[in-house]
Amino acid sequence: MKNFRYIGKETSRPDAPDKAAGKAHYIHDLQRPGMLYGKIKFSDHPHARIKHIDTSKAERLSGVRAVITANNSPEVRFGFLRDNFALKKDKVRQYRDELAAVAAIDPDIAEEAIELIKVEYEPLPGLFSPHEAMKKGSPLIHETDSQGRPRTDNLVPLQYHHESGNLSAGKRAAKYMAQGEFSTPRVQQCCMGTAGCLAEFDMNSNLTIWAKTQIPFLAQRDFNRALSDMGLNDKNTRVIVPALGGGFGTGLDTHAYEYIAILLAFQTGRPVKIVYTRDEEFAYFSPRQSSTTKITQGCGQDGKLTFREVEVVQDNGAYTSWGATYPSVMMMPATSLYRVPSVYFNAQLVYTNNTYCQAMRGYGNPEHTWALESNMDELAGEAGIDPYDFRMINCNKPKETTPMGLKVSTCGLKECLQTVAKKLDWKKKSKKGKCRGKGMASLIHVGGGGRIYRSDASGLILKLDDFGNVNAYHGGVEMGQGLHSVLTLGIAEALGVRPEKVFINPLDTSTCPWDVGTHASRGAFMACNTAILAANKLRDRIFELSEELFPQEVEKNLEKFIKKNPGYKPPDFDFIKAAKRERFDLKDGSIFIKDAPREPWLSLDLGRLLRAIHFRTQGQMLATEVFYDPPNELPDFAKGFGNISSTYAYGTQGAEVEVDTETGEVKILRMVAAHDVGKVLNPPALKGQIYGALAQGIGYALYEELQSEKGKILNPNFRDYKIPTAQEMDFPVDLEFIETNDSFGPFGAKGVAEPGLVPTAPAIANAIYDAIGIRIRDLPITQEKILAALKKLKEAND
Amino acid sequence: MRRFDYFRPKSLKEALELKKTIAGAKFISGGTDLIVQIKNRELKPSALISLRFIPELATIEINGGARIGALVTISDILQHPELGHNYPVLTEAAKSLGSVQIRNVATIGGNLCNCSPCADMALPLLVLEAKVRLQSAKASREVPISKFFKGPGESCLASNEILTDILLNPPHNKAKATFLKKGRVKVDLAIASLALLLEMEGGICRKARIAAGSVAPIPLRLSKVETLLEGAAVSEDLVSKAQHLARETVSPITDVRATEKYRRQIVGVYVKRGLEKILGQSLA
Repeated sequence: MKNFRYIGKETSRPDAPDKAAGKAHYIHDLQRPGMLYGKIKFSDHPHARIKHIDTSKAERLSGVRAVITANNSPEVRFGFLRDNFALKKDKVRQYRDELAAVAAIDPDIAEEAIELIKVEYEPLPGLFSPHEAMKKGSPLIHETDSQGRPRTDNLVPLQYHHESGNLSAGKRAAKYMAQGEFSTPRVQQCCMGTAGCLAEFDMNSNLTIWAKTQIPFLAQRDFNRALSDMGLNDKNTRVIVPALGGGFGTGLDTHAYEYIAILLAFQTGRPVKIVYTRDEEFAYFSPRQSSTTKITQGCGQDGKLTFREVEVVQDNGAYTSWGATYPSVMMMPATSLYRVPSVYFNAQLVYTNNTYCQAMRGYGNPEHTWALESNMDELAGEAGIDPYDFRMINCNKPKETTPMGLKVSTCGLKECLQTVAKKLDWKKKSKKGKCRGKGMASLIHVGGGGRIYRSDASGLILKLDDFGNVNAYHGGVEMGQGLHSVLTLGIAEALGVRPEKVFINPLDTSTCPWDVGTHASRGAFMACNTAILAANKLRDRIFELSEELFPQEVEKNLEKFIKKNPGYKPPDFDFIKAAKRERFDLKDGSIFIKDAPREPWLSLDLGRLLRAIHFRTQGQMLATEVFYDPPNELPDFAKGFGNISSTYAYGTQGAEVEVDTETGEVKILRMVAAHDVGKVLNPPALKGQIYGALAQGIGYALYEELQSEKGKILNPNFRDYKIPTAQEMDFPVDLEFIETNDSFGPFGAKGVAEPGLVPTAPAIANAIYDAIGIRIRDLPITQEKILAALKKLKEAND
Repeated sequence: MRRFDYFRPKSLKEALELKKTIAGAKFISGGTDLIVQIKNRELKPSALISLRFIPELATIEINGGARIGALVTISDILQHPELGHNYPVLTEAAKSLGSVQIRNVATIGGNLCNCSPCADMALPLLVLEAKVRLQSAKASREVPISKFFKGPGESCLASNEILTDILLNPPHNKAKATFLKKGRVKVDLAIASLALLLEMEGGICRKARIAAGSVAPIPLRLSKVETLLEGAAVSEDLVSKAQHLARETVSPITDVRATEKYRRQIVGVYVKRGLEKILGQSLA
């Protein structure tokens, strides 16, 4: 294995000091001269015809600069299926539908103006469960599709289907079977920084928008389309991404509030900022989708899985975001977590009058792994096999091709399972008297990009200056996860300079090369792959130019050195002859000849060489650009086949819990997490990712649910939407990283951003089952649900 | 947020004068409840009169018993050496209130005047049989805390009065008290809570004071359960009866935080656990 200079060493994050000192600029901090504040009037009904919108009082309020509705502004259509509008004209389909917006000189006036807008509705019957909405003859939520063709049902026109092997043969071969129906709630991403943007037009009608996005380049495309809709043909959008207080998938789509800010900015000719309050973020922003998964699995006498059958129904809400493609990711564990010869998978998405949903960390994988790994324990129970042994029997292996056509390169699942079993003292059962139990669950996730768009690429520009500094322009989004830290390390390692000489420039679509988006745990994988490509190109150029310039400069060094050290005899080494490109190396910002004697004068600071290149006649400055598209495939999701990622990440988590049988409270005593990360890039940053993901996974398992009644969010605040705090994370967490040194991974690394929360909920659920014999099948596993189930169990036993 | 005027009087007299002259004005202390209500448009005060700049309201006095000024913050209570020593149940409740940031700002008077059924500080004060002092421009009166709460958001405080002090009796050396609280997570409003004070003599319960939170329109004294326990030897059978009675006595509601059923269940469990904690023995 290669020895790395910086990779794998603890390095502090370049963005940390500014963030810790409160100096980083988030959307919330941005100010522009003449800036106005935008505010949105949301619907008062979950499903209704809009009869009339009266904005006259709002318009007359002093300090209001514009009031817009669908009636006085251009129609802007958007969304993954283009089924959404910035402002709604004919009807509302959810409580958060945008009906009108104002721009005012301060936020309080904007809020007051919103209260003055009166809307008349004609209420329509609402559909709040997908099963209700799927029934024949249900009222239509969308009467037509985006092309204007009439629709006949509430199904979202997206197909996710997979069949492999022989299902009926698999069922016949099964000695044991287990079936379960599992559901997951809508949960909120809970970014520390709420959603917001700032839109501004120049006098040529080109747009600049500071956006909280994870897809600046796809957003540019979306916004340019909106400019066309507004009659601004051939005008351009420049997307700038400031410091972001978390993304977690909320930035994978463009949002109505962004189009509204654009419309208001155009109407007023002034910069317009819209920032959601926490309550707005909860009530009017898209959470994770809720789903129900019916799963059946079977195994033979030997414990080997013979089949897996999965039906998913997903509540899409009223409009369609990229989140509707969750099943594309669900298909991955369904077909490829543990070896299973026959698989049936089908997912249906249904429009309802609930809040429409969007992406969140894990993107369908936590939902599906929750069902799959809970059901694995159920099947192990049926077969009378220990859940750990059962997983080992069915464990994935390196170099296998799975039923979905995933081409596995490296796979550390076995090591992950073994590590968790060992650290959790698996075979030593918990003390039953205390209602303690242990559980585990594993995961597979994309670790080498994730192609869900025609390009999965990422670009990088490196620009060197006279001082040996490296300026990087990259299209990936730093949203708090530490991307700039690994990109810095990757560039420093691959190029051979010190990390503090690397500067990552702000993300701006006008200066940075294209990138599909920071999602699918691809940030570090892509960034470091581009870093290696770009560094190699620069090194080639530097070494080529060194053939002529290195001897010249070294000659000068030698003269000076002799002057200082009279009597010095240089070693017998012909550096002019040795100055061949293939013999040079660059390390820690110093250029030298690999096989040369280590003399102080016989190496050059990179800055000095760059100045020599710059200031000679016909001088040059060095810069390079690269574009990396990973070797993976855009799967055919209707057929459920295709190698979506160039490598896959694995992991296993284990938990030991104690249940209070009088209150239903679950106390986590300890957790173990073993993840196949390919290679650790920056240890503290990686640990941060996993600790954070675990906390989010524990919230998903035990506490979090965006509650709603007839489409209305009931707990739109942190008072009643509970996430774990440090006080819930009061137990030891034992992390272990399995390094499989993947050949596709930069320095061997795989993506790690999402995996940390994927198996957390089923690991905890399995531990609860082990402790008290209760299996809760709908998340979150609240203390109330446990107590009710215990009571039922007691009644059944009495 | 809606606009309002803001005043910071330096004396009680000035504060009461302002309240009288400005229609629609509200007093504000820590603001951790009030500001949220204003932001949610549940309250639309024309003006806020801050009580934070009236020095005598923010003091603690140990005088055999104790006098706690209404503007004393929850953190102040936790940091006061004698208060915690004399009335440990008060610190138990204070520790459970909100987060550090909230405790640094929230005041004991504000917690009471907000009149929430889940007010954490109300329960220890109920079992300690505290009194509150209510001051108007002309008069001052002392009211037992058990008579203070009238309903959610409602108290016996007149619009021309300020709650100035909380008065505690000297601690009884035989009395032991404890506080239990159930939230969905640790930093939470109580979905059910209980304070319990017991004076034991030779295995017989001489005095019992029990108060429960979030299970009735007001922080509630469970007098029937107290009567059941007083004069009796605490046995498993008695505890089981007390639990049952407690569950019957309360009248919780179902909301986003918990169901009525669950709250009742927890009150019962907490009666038992409170007794166990004080008596140092298992009563299962």
